[in-house]
Amino acid sequence: MSKPAIAALCLLLLIGGADRPARAQFFDQMGGAASHPSNIEGFTVAGKGFVTAKPDLVEIDLDVIASSELTADAIVKYRDAKRRIRDAFAALKLGNVTVDERGLLVDQKGQMQSPYFFDYQPNSRTKTEVQLTRKLIVKAADIRKMDEEGVLQLVGRLLDVAQDAGGKVGAGNNMNPYYYYRWGGNTTTGLARFVVEDFDKVQEEAYEKAIADARARAERLARLSKVELGPIVAVRELVVPGDKGTNTDDEPARKRLETAKFQEIPVRVELLVRFEVHPRSAVKGRNP
Amino acid sequence: MRLALVTLLFLPALAYGQPKPEDEDKVSNDNPARPLQMPPASTEVKEAIDDFERFSRRKAWERSLKAIYTIPDDQALRFVDGDNGFIIPVARKRRLLLTALPPEGQAAYRLFYDAEARKLLDEADGPAELKNLERIYSAYFTTAVGDNAADRLGDLYYELGRFDRAADCWLAILREHPDTDLSAGSLSVKAALALFRAGRRAEFEQIKAELADRYNDEKVTLGGQTASPKEALSRLMSDEKWGTDSVEPSASPSAFASPRLAETVDPAWQTRFAESVEAGMTPVELTQWESNALSAVVPAATVEGKTLFVNYLGHVFAVDLPSGKMLWRSASFHNLELLAQQNMARGLDATRFAIVAAGEHVWVLARDLKDQNMFASFQLICRRADNGEIVWKSTDLTDYATFDLVGLPLLADGKLFIAGKSQMNPQQQQGLPRQFVLAIQPHDGKVLWKTEVGTFRQGQQYYYYYMPDTSPQPRLVYRAGAIYLDTHVGVLARLDTESGQFDWGYGYKTAPFQTGYRFYYYMPQEPQAVGGPPLQTGEAFLVKGTQSERLYAVEPNKMKVLWDRPITKASRLLGVDDNAVYLGGDELSALDLKTRKLLWATRVPNGSMDGRVLVRPDGLWQLTSRGIYEIDPKSGDVRRIFRGKDLGSVGGDLLLTDGWLLAVSNRTISAYPRRAPGNAVTARDDSRFTKEQTRHE
Repeated sequence: MSKPAIAALCLLLLIGGADRPARAQFFDQMGGAASHPSNIEGFTVAGKGFVTAKPDLVEIDLDVIASSELTADAIVKYRDAKRRIRDAFAALKLGNVTVDERGLLVDQKGQMQSPYFFDYQPNSRTKTEVQLTRKLIVKAADIRKMDEEGVLQLVGRLLDVAQDAGGKVGAGNNMNPYYYYRWGGNTTTGLARFVVEDFDKVQEEAYEKAIADARARAERLARLSKVELGPIVAVRELVVPGDKGTNTDDEPARKRLETAKFQEIPVRVELLVRFEVHPRSAVKGRNP
Repeated sequence: MRLALVTLLFLPALAYGQPKPEDEDKVSNDNPARPLQMPPASTEVKEAIDDFERFSRRKAWERSLKAIYTIPDDQALRFVDGDNGFIIPVARKRRLLLTALPPEGQAAYRLFYDAEARKLLDEADGPAELKNLERIYSAYFTTAVGDNAADRLGDLYYELGRFDRAADCWLAILREHPDTDLSAGSLSVKAALALFRAGRRAEFEQIKAELADRYNDEKVTLGGQTASPKEALSRLMSDEKWGTDSVEPSASPSAFASPRLAETVDPAWQTRFAESVEAGMTPVELTQWESNALSAVVPAATVEGKTLFVNYLGHVFAVDLPSGKMLWRSASFHNLELLAQQNMARGLDATRFAIVAAGEHVWVLARDLKDQNMFASFQLICRRADNGEIVWKSTDLTDYATFDLVGLPLLADGKLFIAGKSQMNPQQQQGLPRQFVLAIQPHDGKVLWKTEVGTFRQGQQYYYYYMPDTSPQPRLVYRAGAIYLDTHVGVLARLDTESGQFDWGYGYKTAPFQTGYRFYYYMPQEPQAVGGPPLQTGEAFLVKGTQSERLYAVEPNKMKVLWDRPITKASRLLGVDDNAVYLGGDELSALDLKTRKLLWATRVPNGSMDGRVLVRPDGLWQLTSRGIYEIDPKSGDVRRIFRGKDLGSVGGDLLLTDGWLLAVSNRTISAYPRRAPGNAVTARDDSRFTKEQTRHE
């Protein structure tokens, strides 16, 4: 291949690939660019929607832990501990209170991190002490219709019953604050968790508000830019409420809102919306 | 092919390489991994015993006996491994070896040593009588005169009130000297009497049963009357009854009554000592004090008569039980926090503060918080019970100069027993610390005897700021002329109360205690339950070392382990009844004594790692941070939770007196009225005494 031919090829590639980064932005991610040429013109604005929802559910995490040299003993301890907690909540005779279970962990007691290496070291214990652990979640439903005093009484009662029954309330009791401080794991999560589940209606409202907000912003831009606002051509969700991911295998990913405080839970939606724009026919020609 | 041959050749080697299960389970005094070594016999002694066994197998009697008698007298009371985990004195080992000789060996033995034994027996008169007889019993028991010497020694011990030892002498003749000329019937009757007085019921019943159908043709003369052995024993025992430790309900109507906390009961009085400490603190000072581990210390308390004696970090005070009035105190509680803030004080193991009381005296184990020496020892102080005046203290007596006293003192047999650790001074190149038991004359502090129980293989711990000492505390228990010491580092020791003679030790499996070396303060350590004393069940003791993963039932008189079973390391013994042993730890639990199965486990707030739990046939009671829990001993169900007036504390001890259930926490001492069945005294009716008396010093 002659030099001019190579130069021509490079030029061709340069011209053809120059708009790739632009194409890769935004629309490619929306999946629309593959089928037809993208219209990268228009206004892209952020729209925010914000509504609040009152929690309808309160959850308290408990750990049932039993360990012993003999597995048979550990089973007796574990079974008794779980039974006593379940019996204690059943004795409350509250129809809206249930106790859910997460998976059973069969582990070895005494495994700990080495402070010297910040890593797990082989256990120096000559014998294995079997440890059975299960997380129980105490749920009290229908709290939306209660006033704060009622919720407070209910939560207090549940916490008392849980602790009186020997349950370990609150996560991270075994956490070593000095070890974790640098990773910021020392956040307060509270003893109870207030939850909003099935919040489709509220979410719909938040989306509507976000779109309306985006349209208002775009219209302002169009007015100031003296162009005509066209239809929405692309939307990207920036903040979506309630997609609770999970990094553990003991609970499925759920759509819910959680907070440690008993308050109206904010449902936020943030969207990036692009509108098509057209030149205003009426003002055409007046421009210098 | 070649590879296959080589593999086949080495296969047996792999099998040989496996440790034998019995070796794995064997507990040896010489095992360097064990935290405490009892005073070991020299290598020469062990070689002599090996030589004896080797020559005996070859029937070279002269050489074998010569070997065993090369053991010098000063080694006779050192220790070698016995059978079943027991570690025994060389003298006992020698006697066992000689007793086990076959008839031809016995004949040779008597040929060589009868003369020596006879000479000792002839000279056993006057002041030398006891010594010579003990020497024959120890060294020449299997000679022709060994039985006579043992019989006389038994008589002497019996006269001295040392029934346990008397019984051992007579039983040894019956069991280990079959060719004795002495009357077996007479020996049996004497042994039975001694066993009865020593409280060894099972062995007594066994001898009694033997007497029922044996020796009927013999005549025994005891107490000036002649009769058959069976009749003689019946006559001598006609007025005797087995003593009982428990109080008959008729003697004290409330002794068997439960605390009965079904209804809300206000305390009749309350001593709020923590408020005295905190009085006048600024919020910052209060926060500092509350973050100090010493603010969570539950004081040691004991009841004597109508007075409660309390040792709060070395500040001793007495409270009148009926009225709740403070009778005296050794120092003001105010400014205690200033002492407690010192780094040296923060390294204290506050569970070492102890108190016992009897009659006119109170004995306190304490350390001066002002002492800046982190190796400063705890001192024993005797005070007058009526006004707190110091009678004597160990720091004034030279006998105690080298000891750091540790563990709850025990008052028994007219003496005060306490364990102590010899202190190691690294600057003087002194050796490892040693474990001692001291017998003290209670009223003047004179040391009657001190016996070394062993040497710690783990050296002195060094403490850095705020690091508390976690080494376990030995616990003592008395029974029938002997005290038993659970060192909580792998040895249960039996000592004679009279002489301090160290009879034997039982070596149980244990891990070394956790070292004080830590990378940083909050480095988590395994939870450790407070070590409890051995619990008596029938003739046996239940033993659970602080760092042991096994629970043992040891029959001390027969030197047998009845059973043992694995158990959670972080558990402790709380109490025992006919059916179950109750354990503390992460949870309260009960273990069936017959099947050794765990019956139930109940979690209470903050577990049951420490604190005095009331264990009674009708229930278990524990003071927790959330109130007093009453547990059904059959099912483990929480019968009720009595919130009381101790909330805000970390929990603590429960003491039961005739009139009160005393809840001793880190903040208050509350006296809840205790009601006997049928005696429905309400708190209000009973509050003729000042209610909720607050002490602000």
